[in-house]
Amino acid sequence: MTDFLTYGFAQRALITGTLLGLTCAVLAFFVVLRRMAFIGVGISHAALGGVALGVVLGISPVLAATVFSVAVAWLIGWMGTRGQISADTTIGVFFPTAMALGVALISLSPTYRQDLMGYLFGSILAVRPADVWILAGLAAVSLGILAAFFKEFVYLGVDEEAARAAGVPTQALSYLLLTVLAVTVVASMKLVGSVLVSAFLVIPAATGQAVAGSVRGMLAVAIGSALASVVGGLWLSWLWNLPSGASIVLLSAALFFVAVAAGRLRGR
Amino acid sequence: MTAAIAVRDVWFAYDREPVLRGASFEIEPGSFTALIGPNGAGKSTLLRILLGLLAPERGQVEVFGARPGDRSHPIGYVSQRVRLPATFPISVFEVALMGRYGRLGLLHRPGAPDRARTTAALEQVGMGEHARRRFGDLSGGQQQRVLIARALAGEPRLLLLDEPTAGLDPAARAGFYALLCDLQHDQGLTVLCASHDLEVVSEHVDRLVLLDRDVRASGAPREVLASAALAQAYTFPAPHHHGEASR
Repeated sequence: MTDFLTYGFAQRALITGTLLGLTCAVLAFFVVLRRMAFIGVGISHAALGGVALGVVLGISPVLAATVFSVAVAWLIGWMGTRGQISADTTIGVFFPTAMALGVALISLSPTYRQDLMGYLFGSILAVRPADVWILAGLAAVSLGILAAFFKEFVYLGVDEEAARAAGVPTQALSYLLLTVLAVTVVASMKLVGSVLVSAFLVIPAATGQAVAGSVRGMLAVAIGSALASVVGGLWLSWLWNLPSGASIVLLSAALFFVAVAAGRLRGR
Repeated sequence: MTAAIAVRDVWFAYDREPVLRGASFEIEPGSFTALIGPNGAGKSTLLRILLGLLAPERGQVEVFGARPGDRSHPIGYVSQRVRLPATFPISVFEVALMGRYGRLGLLHRPGAPDRARTTAALEQVGMGEHARRRFGDLSGGQQQRVLIARALAGEPRLLLLDEPTAGLDPAARAGFYALLCDLQHDQGLTVLCASHDLEVVSEHVDRLVLLDRDVRASGAPREVLASAALAQAYTFPAPHHHGEASR
């Protein structure tokens, strides 16, 4: 492990991974509470469409993916509040549409396929020094928002109507949470890839839910398991020459099963 | 004396489908009133208007002389049921503490006075000893008591409840309404409860308001239960036989 950390790319991967793991874990708490797991899947695939759009339009793929993902997240949220089409149906429409758009656009730019694999499955070991600062900034803003409105986001997840009646600006906060989710998904694409980011936005919180007896406990276990998955997954990826995203998510899933077994043993 | 609730000629429609058509009634401070009526009568819509979540198309609504949504008169609201993932590890105390969030406002953390008020509210509803338990582990009746504690934690003068006993067994329903009755008498709370439990709720309230898009009857429970309007509002359509229809 110490050999691994002497490399600059490994240090950058570890710093970036730790920041995003922390953000994903806290966000996963709300994803599980609000049953938004499928929204995470929808946005992560929409992000891929955004990357392809950026490539074809000749603008930054990350910027295009961010704008595209936020727009899709808001549209899912808006259609969900209209009540005419359920949220999961809306996501079911956008998920394949955005993916198909991505595939169609990428086919117009055949030389880009190599990089697209990076967005699909993650390439955190290829993170550049400038990326570290950008991702650190995004993680700080996301974590700051989640911390600032933590009690309101929990109230929204438990009883949205009562929260509204109490004067909590539920609609604005719902869109804010969707925005943070979309931005985190795009930022995490470098870490675990768009295919696996949705898993990373659920598994740490599910691990916490399996063993914890309180909100604080669930958050602590979610953060701990996410960080252990990032550090351990990166190390295993270097040790056995595995894709970083797959290693991180597989380790995260292993911790989840251990937590479920531990929870059952404790009679939860 | 200013009415706790004054509803005057209120109209409301969802997508041109009328739900309320000129509803009018008043509720005295410190009284316990049940809002009864068949499904689709507009009970939940009316409660949402009183909470300031919906605006009436026509008519006037006042809560303690102020317009709905005015935060100078906090309203305690108890919804039908919270929809938490079954094993989500939120404690009874954490759920009840949310009743303080409206008073705290954004970006403010609950302090010792908020925790003390929440503890007192849980004790008022007989759930003090369950404060550390996981909310999802409670029975339906206990969960509804916690939701009342959450409403009380906000120190309201008015308690609005939207069919809070749905899914509870008869004993739990009776206990629930008895608790509301105690809160009304001990704290001078005004209570308005939308309900389907005509018989059980009638034993505890001062007044019934029968709503079926507009107010069909209002008064002492005995009078409303004996009224022709009640029979008319709850009349089921005649059985429909396919064989007869084809003849």
